[in-house]
Amino acid sequence: MELVRAQRHDEAIALLLPAFRRKVFGLAYSFLRNREAAEDVTQDVFIKVWRALPGFDGRASLSTWIYTIARNASLSALRARRPQSSLSDPEVMDAVDAIDTAASADALVERAALLRLVDQLPTKQRQVIMLFYMKEQSHEEVATMLAMPVGTVKTLLHRARARLSAAAGN
Amino acid sequence: MSVRDSQLDKHLEALFGGLDTAAEFDTRLMARLQAESQTDAAERAIRARHQERLRYRKARLELKSWRRSMLRLLTLDALGIAVLLAVAIGMAWPHLNGDVLDISRQYGPYIATLFGVLVAAVPLVATWVERTRGPVPLR
Repeated sequence: MELVRAQRHDEAIALLLPAFRRKVFGLAYSFLRNREAAEDVTQDVFIKVWRALPGFDGRASLSTWIYTIARNASLSALRARRPQSSLSDPEVMDAVDAIDTAASADALVERAALLRLVDQLPTKQRQVIMLFYMKEQSHEEVATMLAMPVGTVKTLLHRARARLSAAAGN
Repeated sequence: MSVRDSQLDKHLEALFGGLDTAAEFDTRLMARLQAESQTDAAERAIRARHQERLRYRKARLELKSWRRSMLRLLTLDALGIAVLLAVAIGMAWPHLNGDVLDISRQYGPYIATLFGVLVAAVPLVATWVERTRGPVPLR
């Protein structure tokens, strides 16, 4: 906030980037389910944040403000790029492979199957699952990202896990 | 939590735990920000120039309308002075002595002509000054 007040917006962005890049990308990805589109949205979000920083008055917390911009940008991108891809599209599968190239073939097959199951979840449950299992994400953080009460996040997470568990057991 | 649930957690963490942007993301973003920053500066300069032009045009229009109204006033002034002088001369005429009357009879047409030319010249000179003035200086 000091950097924003001091009109040092480039330095402020340089600080915000490592703190929010993955989270904004994860949020965009949870909406768009496409790596390239999510990266484009993430770039646009940071450009928007940089442009809007002079007008940021600090009434909302910085994270809430950034997530709101990210959600709106993701929804706009989603509307613009229908029909949307699915998590189990080949390009998404390549992205999953890229996450852990050391994984065995069996593990990749299992993950691909799990990915298809996640893809079949209702939108909100899928988003909660994806964001919660990103590194070091708490219920509270996911709730802020999706602008939901923490209780709703916990319920959605519980239902999604129950569905996945049941589906995987079949 | 059952064994199956903990296995599920592990798989989900493996799937989404490492979700991140491509390696060159920050570099691309910083390059974009720099480009945006330069574009912004150029746009600001264009906007400032445009606003300055508008301000200049407005000031010129205001000054022009002021000059026009002054010109109208000046013309009316000249007419008023002429009427006033004619009335003053008419009233003073019976009280003037013989010498003055002789002189006025002799030079009367010249004096009247000169006075008429002067009165008529005032708006003409004012118009000429108006047309030959340079650009309006702005503070």
